[in-house]
Amino acid sequence: MAAPHAVPAIELAHMTVSYGASPVLWDVDATFPAGAMSAIVGPNGSGKSTLLRAALGLVPADAGRATILGQPAREAMRRVAYVPQREAVDWDFPITVREVVEMGRYPSVGWIRRLRAEDRAIVDESLERVGMGPFAGRQIGQLSGGQRQRVFVARALAQRAELLVLDEPFAGIDARTEAALLGLLAELRDREGRSVVMVHHDLQTVREVVDWVLLLNVRAVASGPVATTMTPENLRRAYGAGEVGLDEREGAAWAG
Amino acid sequence: MGWLIDLLPLPYTDAVVVIGAAVLGIAAGVLGALAVLPRRSLVGDALAHSALPGVAIAFLVTGAKDPASLLVGAGIAGLIGALMMVGIERTSRIRPDAAIGVVLSSFFSLGIVLLTYISSTGNSEQAGLETYLFGQAAGLLERDVAVMAGLAAGAIACVAIGFRPLKASIFDRAFAASIGLRVRVVELASTALLVVAIVIGLRSVGAILMVAMLIVPTVAARQLTNRLSRLLPLAGLIGGAVGAVGALASARAEVPTGPVIVLTGTVVVLAAVLLAPGRGVVWQAARRRGERRTARSSGVLIDLETALHAGPPPTPSELAMASARPARDVRRGLRDLGRAGLLEHDGDRVRLSESGAAAAHTALEGRRLWSAWLEHGWRLDPGDAREPDPRDLRGSLGDDLVERLIAMDGGARP
Repeated sequence: MAAPHAVPAIELAHMTVSYGASPVLWDVDATFPAGAMSAIVGPNGSGKSTLLRAALGLVPADAGRATILGQPAREAMRRVAYVPQREAVDWDFPITVREVVEMGRYPSVGWIRRLRAEDRAIVDESLERVGMGPFAGRQIGQLSGGQRQRVFVARALAQRAELLVLDEPFAGIDARTEAALLGLLAELRDREGRSVVMVHHDLQTVREVVDWVLLLNVRAVASGPVATTMTPENLRRAYGAGEVGLDEREGAAWAG
Repeated sequence: MGWLIDLLPLPYTDAVVVIGAAVLGIAAGVLGALAVLPRRSLVGDALAHSALPGVAIAFLVTGAKDPASLLVGAGIAGLIGALMMVGIERTSRIRPDAAIGVVLSSFFSLGIVLLTYISSTGNSEQAGLETYLFGQAAGLLERDVAVMAGLAAGAIACVAIGFRPLKASIFDRAFAASIGLRVRVVELASTALLVVAIVIGLRSVGAILMVAMLIVPTVAARQLTNRLSRLLPLAGLIGGAVGAVGALASARAEVPTGPVIVLTGTVVVLAAVLLAPGRGVVWQAARRRGERRTARSSGVLIDLETALHAGPPPTPSELAMASARPARDVRRGLRDLGRAGLLEHDGDRVRLSESGAAAAHTALEGRRLWSAWLEHGWRLDPGDAREPDPRDLRGSLGDDLVERLIAMDGGARP
């Protein structure tokens, strides 16, 4: 760990993915630095979620290579915690909050063995950190949207991974939960040096809390530190002419 | 399993049938959850229907009605059906429901054509093959039941060993894949286990109705528990009971076993869907009704308190006028309040009793607290994921937060 930030968290080279006819991602090169909070930003259908899934090897890529923490994606699985979109899950499934978070220990405990005392302690601690301790015994269907997202983040915490990858963690979430979870992610970065990469839609929060950004619209439009990358010019290129008005307003707010 | 047969207070043949049906019910109950929970119940239906031509082909090949070889045929055909469904979904743009429909109807048609051909050949051996359509538990031999029990034990052991991979891949496929689980392998294995359940039940329940034995136990068990680790044994138990009762009834009445078992299961599901505590329809309706009632009477209570503050005790219609509530709601609210001993009547005018005044006070405090939450709540940090419930702010936020809230909102101190 002499130079902890020398190896990027995620490095993508020539990533191309298509579902059916047209490409969802086209020849994307991108690097997300380690020890930083990064966001992938772009209009709907620009391939943000697909980029994350392709980076983790969850969807087959037509071409390209993903390197995670210096290893090929497949070999780095254990060092990554993935938080999928909330809609991807059946919330009526018969499972309690605690059991969901326990899943975060599966990679280290294995598929058969019982959870050790230390694993249970990690699960408790993860639940506490997201404020879900009092809800551990609830069936997940009885939770609000914000509480569900907290459970997902707790599961990622329980994985004790160096890199957290979150897909739209704050879509449809109350402001209080968003603030709490963002604070928690920032704490992970600052105190424990972990890397965070997330798909995010709110340009305002990106400016406030994120260090590094990739503007995506099928191709990589721009990437780099937030201050120099989220320029009105780049935003216009990412979001296209249809939203120029929005971009100018955003640009003005940024300039002021 | 001789001791088990001796244990039951039934004639030998009945005892064999009951144990056989219980075994198939347990297996179908536990394994059926693998189809119902991922919302793929009809895959089970398609698998059962595709097993039919396997039975016919096995008979044509072996020329004998040996249950073991017929069931091997059924299992192979079921697996082929399963692979075809997966293949159609993956390679073409046909949706899963359509793929299920195509496989189900084509395999079943093939089965019927083959069975008709076999019966036209006049082979004396063929009589009774049609029991694979609707099921006939009556002819089960002790040897058959032993084979069924062995298969069931093996399949259930697989579920127990694979509990975590199954749970993870059904609940959250993307997460399961992200921690290195080969989700497709797990899905294929659970389909194979479904085929085993179908093979166990095919003879007794029949191809057409087998799907009910897969679905019924899980649906009923889901009403009763919120945890997968309890749902699976519970589904097995329910399936076993349904199978045993249905088989016994059908053996006595000399009707095909499948329909009787399914009707028995229907009764169980209906009871569970209606009456289960928490999730049952009746239970939920009662709770909603209670909530509506509470909201109505606490609203009327506060209106009455306000009216009493402003002037003489009102009549119910004056109260309705003043509070802009439908007269009927006011009447009903007053009736509920009166029953709770919160009112005093003065001719047709109403006043609050002593306990009524206290209750009105509490209700008003609750309202004030809620307004205080709306105004100052954003400045309070609960430190965890507590969320306010307007019906019971103190209960949902806890005493410490509520005290802080009252302190912030000096005027709201009661």
